[in-house]
Amino acid sequence: MIELYNVSKVVPSGAEMLTILYSLDLSIPDGEFISIVGPSGSGKSTLLGLLAGLDAPTTGRILIDGQAITSMNEDQLADLRSRKIGFVFQSFHLMPSLTALENILVPMEIRGLKDADERARQLLEDVDLVDRAHHYPSQLSGGEQQRVAIARAFANDPAILLADEPTGNLDARNGHHVFELMVNLNRRRKTTLVLVTHDHELAAMADRSIALRGGRVVSDTRGARAEGEASDLAEASQI
Amino acid sequence: MRFIFRMVRRELRSSWGRLIFFFLSIMLGVGAIVAGRSMLQNANLAIASEARNLLTADIMLDTNRPWEDATLEKIDQVAAPPIVTAKAETVDLATMLRPADPENEGALMVELKGIEPAFPLYGDFFLKGGARFDYSLLENNGAVVSLGLLDRLDLKVGDRVNIGAGSFEIRGAFEQEPGGSGGGFRLGPRVFIELETLRKIGLTGFGSRARHRLALKTQEASVAPLTRSLRAALNTRLVNVRSYKDSEQNMSEQFQRTEDYSSLVGLVILVLGGIGISNVTRVFIDQKKKSIAVLKCIGATGNRILAAYLAQIVIMAVVGSLAGLLFAMAVLQLIESNFSSQLPQYMTYSLRPAAGAQGFAVGLGISLIFSALPLLRIRRIKPNVLLREEVSPERRRFDLLRWGVAFVALLALLMLVAWQAGSIKVGLFFLGGLALTAGLLYVAAVVLIWIVRRARRVGSFTLRQAINSLHRPGNQTRVIVMVVGLGVFLVISIQSIQSNLLREFDLGRYGNLPGMFLIDIQPDQQEGVIEMVRALTGERPAIVPTVRMRMQAINGREINFEDEEMRRDRGRLGREYVVTYRPHLESNETILEGNFWDAAPSAEPEVSIEEGMKGLAGLALGGTITFDVQGRRITATVTSIRRVDWRNSRTGFMVLFRPGSLENAPQTMIAPINAPADELERARFQRRLSDRYPNVTVIDVVDIVQAIKRIVENISLAISFVGAFVLLTGIMILAGSLAMTKFQRIYETALLKTLGAKRKIVLAILLAEYGLLGLVAGIIGSGAATGLSYATSRYVFDIPWSFTPAVNLSGVAATILLVIVVGAVSTADVITRKPLATVRAQ
Repeated sequence: MIELYNVSKVVPSGAEMLTILYSLDLSIPDGEFISIVGPSGSGKSTLLGLLAGLDAPTTGRILIDGQAITSMNEDQLADLRSRKIGFVFQSFHLMPSLTALENILVPMEIRGLKDADERARQLLEDVDLVDRAHHYPSQLSGGEQQRVAIARAFANDPAILLADEPTGNLDARNGHHVFELMVNLNRRRKTTLVLVTHDHELAAMADRSIALRGGRVVSDTRGARAEGEASDLAEASQI
Repeated sequence: MRFIFRMVRRELRSSWGRLIFFFLSIMLGVGAIVAGRSMLQNANLAIASEARNLLTADIMLDTNRPWEDATLEKIDQVAAPPIVTAKAETVDLATMLRPADPENEGALMVELKGIEPAFPLYGDFFLKGGARFDYSLLENNGAVVSLGLLDRLDLKVGDRVNIGAGSFEIRGAFEQEPGGSGGGFRLGPRVFIELETLRKIGLTGFGSRARHRLALKTQEASVAPLTRSLRAALNTRLVNVRSYKDSEQNMSEQFQRTEDYSSLVGLVILVLGGIGISNVTRVFIDQKKKSIAVLKCIGATGNRILAAYLAQIVIMAVVGSLAGLLFAMAVLQLIESNFSSQLPQYMTYSLRPAAGAQGFAVGLGISLIFSALPLLRIRRIKPNVLLREEVSPERRRFDLLRWGVAFVALLALLMLVAWQAGSIKVGLFFLGGLALTAGLLYVAAVVLIWIVRRARRVGSFTLRQAINSLHRPGNQTRVIVMVVGLGVFLVISIQSIQSNLLREFDLGRYGNLPGMFLIDIQPDQQEGVIEMVRALTGERPAIVPTVRMRMQAINGREINFEDEEMRRDRGRLGREYVVTYRPHLESNETILEGNFWDAAPSAEPEVSIEEGMKGLAGLALGGTITFDVQGRRITATVTSIRRVDWRNSRTGFMVLFRPGSLENAPQTMIAPINAPADELERARFQRRLSDRYPNVTVIDVVDIVQAIKRIVENISLAISFVGAFVLLTGIMILAGSLAMTKFQRIYETALLKTLGAKRKIVLAILLAEYGLLGLVAGIIGSGAATGLSYATSRYVFDIPWSFTPAVNLSGVAATILLVIVVGAVSTADVITRKPLATVRAQ
């Protein structure tokens, strides 16, 4: 369960202060697949970063499974991410100096898991990249890199998977493949999935969809259809 | 732990190439420290363990006056058998030697030593061909000479030579004499004869500058107490008492000091390397920013990541330091194979474990100290950069940890330097001096680069791009300029100081220095010598009368070495003064105080003293000095104080008498003469002169100046070596910094190519950038060097200084070339790389 109470984010921009997120209350139950949509600069990525504890909100509290992550220090947050959160980025962010297999191994090694090697190979198999195990990121295509990133995100069997436009840098075919992989793994492992996307079609697959606009929630709807409305609303308010 | 270990292994696999310069810097610095310390420790061992052999005695007494009966009595009272088991008296003096064969036209000044059968108490001769030295070789006018003498005068064993009024047969030639060559400055090759004979050939009489020595042998346990009681007994006499233990200790202390100073040189290299390390680490961490953010994002804590990167640095430092040890061993081998003949005989060239351990510790310490701050940046990398390239700037807060680490690092550096220098004060001065120099060069770099930036408007496209490149974000321009500039600074300074120093020894420069000095001319030989010189040079030489005397009292106060104040000035008060008298001042003399006498002689003794004597036991204008002139006391009033320009002098005297009081004193003459340049003619003249006047000694200034020149050249070779080391470190850091910022160059180049720039233009931009870097570093280095060379010439060596444009210009040109070559080599593939992959990857 993820809970947000009165969460806002303000950053200095030159001499002025810029509000990226206005006061926001939100709760995401375990196992829910939620999509966050909105135009560029609406605060989607910032919200995702706050959920992962990558950044601290200016006001408000964020609770994950009842624990207030907003009062944790950097090390506690790192530990929380290690145990509970997987992250997939738009631009993959694999470590260039490590092979595909090693990139998947790292989170498990950070936690000190015993059967890390075996598990990493299983994950590579899950994303269909067994034959690429010893290739470096620079030797992989974009789609392959993102599949490695997904395998890495699932490495510690996280309760929550956060994905920031995971298909944004991929062509339609590869994007679809990656998305399916993610959703399937999510279903199989019953994780909470928070997906930030521009793609209405993908957003429509979620259980629930939130539309952001200028740092405020403009709609929060359940079900596939509702998502379509949400995204329409978000766009309508842009005009 | 396992995670850290694995991360280190994987990271090093991919990034060792980027850290190679880190590694090389450490290697060079550690190598220099270890090689230097090992060399000096080995030399110390070789010499100190030989201290007794070098002194050829347990205790040595020496004086420049003939032994007085009272003194000998005192010595006998303290040092009699059975405490002293053997004694050997020797007399050393410099005189002319000439072959008896009239066909052989040479003549040479030699260092003659008269010995007794007991000599040497320790040590031995090494005769040519392995024959054993036996005292009987010297009996009945035999001489044993150094091999060098045979070479220089084309003589062989069995030939006869004349010394003073005596004739000797060369009965042996030695490769090494007891006590070795001493390594000091020698007036000529060594010749051994019987002491008894030496006293008979007319050289120890009046006016002789002989050194009288008494060597004592005693039991090991008595050395220290006997030395003490001899010193106490001879306290008031001008006798120097030394034991081999003193010299052992003296040498050890001297070596320790030299060793500590020499390791400061290694430290300069390491501290420079440290600046490079700090740079490399900073850029390295910057480049790893995303990877570090990813690690944080997937759950690694800042401290674990810090540990992983710290471990990489430590590994590189350990490997670098070990490589430094190997490097030092190679340097020692190189020295052994090239220079062992000029170094102490029993010296070994192994790496000293203590030196190795110190070098290793310093290498590791410097690495940690200089990488600490850049590594701390890891803590501040926010995982947020993965979501958004520019994270909103954090408000700069006071970071206690950062300042704490900086403080601790500085303190650790000071401790390290103080430890290496053997003194906190020297350490502070060293760090302060280095910081000041580096700071000045840095400021100069900032200013010059700012000026170059102004020039951007007027330049061509190529030049404009090159100037822009110097200012690209994350550039290392200022640091590169500072470090390369520092290397250039040292090398040019040494060159410039050296050329100023060497010019001082250029004989033709003043035109006033004589080619030879003829000394010890007796009054009745004066006319004959003048004639001979006139026949040779066509000029009548100026003959200067000299009288030898010692001070007895100053301002009526008797000289007494029981007086603490006078004992401190024992050297100047107890020495023999050679004085002259004349009615006029020479052109190189000026009066500072008082008035110089008029030409008329005066029976009332008056003296003019050199400015350096003022204050000696309270001496001032109007004071009196009482001299002992061959037993007669003369009290003279100081009526003027002079400055003598010693550089511009044929002769110079500390004490000058007014004519009228010394004319009848026993005296000898000296004559400075302009000798012919031709070597053969010089030799012939020396030969003819000493044939006729064997007591007259010829000092060939050319020989002495040559010897000094050789010493200066050797010293500057050694310093240039150090400068080259520093420059090498500078190049290393230059190459390292360029390689670290290569990714930016690659990207820029790819963009330029995409926009249609041909390879030629891209290449020209790169070369112009490096050329500018070299130009700025060269100007800064050579400017600072000019300042240092001026300051040392004027205030340290006290010689006139002149600008050396050739050295400066060629220095700047060489720097430009060097930076271009190093730059081109370390970034060669920037040009050849295809742009597509680069642009796509960004």
